[in-house]
Amino acid sequence: MNESPESERFTEQAKRVFDDSVDRLDAAALSRLNRSRQRALAELGTAGAAHGQWLRWVPATGVAAAVALATVMMMNARPPDVAQEPVSESDFEMLLDDGDELEMLEDLEFYSWLDLAGPTAGDNVG
Amino acid sequence: MSACAATFAVSLPREEPTGETALERERQLNQFLAGVEKRALRIAEIGVRDRDEALDLVQDAMIRLARAYASRPADEWTPLFYRILHNGVRDWHRRQKVRRRVMAWFGRSADGAGDYDPIEAAADPAGRTPEDELETGEAMRQLEVAIGGLPARQREAFMLRTFEGLDVAGTALAMGCSEGSVKTHYSRAVHTLREQLGEHWE
Repeated sequence: MNESPESERFTEQAKRVFDDSVDRLDAAALSRLNRSRQRALAELGTAGAAHGQWLRWVPATGVAAAVALATVMMMNARPPDVAQEPVSESDFEMLLDDGDELEMLEDLEFYSWLDLAGPTAGDNVG
Repeated sequence: MSACAATFAVSLPREEPTGETALERERQLNQFLAGVEKRALRIAEIGVRDRDEALDLVQDAMIRLARAYASRPADEWTPLFYRILHNGVRDWHRRQKVRRRVMAWFGRSADGAGDYDPIEAAADPAGRTPEDELETGEAMRQLEVAIGGLPARQREAFMLRTFEGLDVAGTALAMGCSEGSVKTHYSRAVHTLREQLGEHWE
């Protein structure tokens, strides 16, 4: 900041006068300042300790919260809802009870045609 | 197992400063406060014109700095400390304004109290004895009066720049405004003070 020489002289003199008044502070004021400083430094220890105590519980609380969340999620876990067609009993009988189910699976296309063509479709076969 | 009961202590390394670090920080803060406290008292005293009130404000600023900003880099302490102090001075003036209104209201309603002037009835502005006044010197008295007549922001800018020696950036941080505003307030303050005190000082 560029100041004029007059302004600089003025501020320098103001500083000197101010510093002089600082040097003339009485003993009572200095004593009170000293007590205030000690009190502030005592607060520094208290604040630091309190802050430290609080910080000490942060990881423990975090881990506990994570475990609690995981437990809740596991307890409420369900298999995904998948839309399923109703299964008829005859389907299982066809696959499991019949002895030649594998042959039937190989001729699945034929049986599908047979089903669509109706009861007379197979009369000419074989 | 109840999910809510899953609370257990975990022993993790604490990230608190070691004893040596804490002691070093305390030593640094003590050194800083010891270096700034006398000028801070006089600056606060000029701001509120009452030594006891100024002492309270300085103590409050010290405690707040220790509580909230002790972990900040030491070179930030000066502007932060003065920011707290000036906020305290501003709050003090607001409280005084409210108090004067309340006293004026009661003064009008009380018998014989209508002529009460709280300023006239107040103790010596700086709480000093006549001997102290003489010691402080006429020049400082004139300067205090002139500074007291400045708008608050100009007063803050002038005292921080001139008395505390903060640079423009530090003053801006302490005042919570832009560097451009600091330059404007400071320039106007110097101009006004020179006009008022020029014939005695130059």
